[in-house]
Amino acid sequence: MQEITMYHYLFLGLLLFLIGLFGSITSKHIIKVLICIEFILTGVNINFVTFATFCDNVQLDGFIMALFYVAIGAVELAVALYIFYLMYIQKESENIDKYGDL
Amino acid sequence: MSGIDNPIIFYPVSALMILMALLTIGYRNIFRSLLCAIAVFFFAGFFFYILGSEYNAVIQIAIYGIAVPVILGLAIMFTNTKGKMQEESSGKLKYVLFLTAGIFVLAMVYLILTSLAIVPMGFNFAEEITLNSLQVFSAFSNGIYVRYVWAFELVSLILTIVVVGLTLFRRINKCKK
Repeated sequence: MQEITMYHYLFLGLLLFLIGLFGSITSKHIIKVLICIEFILTGVNINFVTFATFCDNVQLDGFIMALFYVAIGAVELAVALYIFYLMYIQKESENIDKYGDL
Repeated sequence: MSGIDNPIIFYPVSALMILMALLTIGYRNIFRSLLCAIAVFFFAGFFFYILGSEYNAVIQIAIYGIAVPVILGLAIMFTNTKGKMQEESSGKLKYVLFLTAGIFVLAMVYLILTSLAIVPMGFNFAEEITLNSLQVFSAFSNGIYVRYVWAFELVSLILTIVVVGLTLFRRINKCKK
């Protein structure tokens, strides 16, 4: 069986990124959209870590970037959930189509 | 053959991860979606681990695997009244979107495969993958506290601003009411 190379991991990250992108475009439930955005971030993180492991195993910049990305992702999720909460009080629905105005 | 290049580990776990990601989008029940998403985040943590980044794996599992799903679960419980999504099926549009996404994925696969064929060694690979804990620890501390110290401070500042800001917004809203 063929050995796993860097491209396999990159392709996995790409697939996760595309699934997240597709889900965030097509989903109507706002929490599902948020989950899909986190998929996008996770796909990007996989790419960062893969590049750091295979191409830069001295400074490992990709590991650090992935760390920052996780922190920023958590911040983004907190803010998005708070906006969702405020909108939900007004609209009383999770359907993203009803959230036309902020 | 170590874990990083072992196909017996890579293929099943990646297939499960992609399946769970697809199920997250496919399920109409948001709780099931959330459970599948947790599985995806854990699998991502596993991949970080076999790629030699234990720190990222731990952080991924702690934040995305545990903390974020708890917050999302609470948000679902506080807001979702019927337990199921109130989606109106958009019929043809969904199929068109699936088709478009499929074509896009195929195009990307073709692009990647052809680029690999043209430039088989496009990247400067490191000589050999010899990561050990001390090296990773040294690289992390050097990166966070020396080379990216301003980015690190900025991220911590953003986190603080978000925590304080959300608390203040909540109080202001309460006072308005």
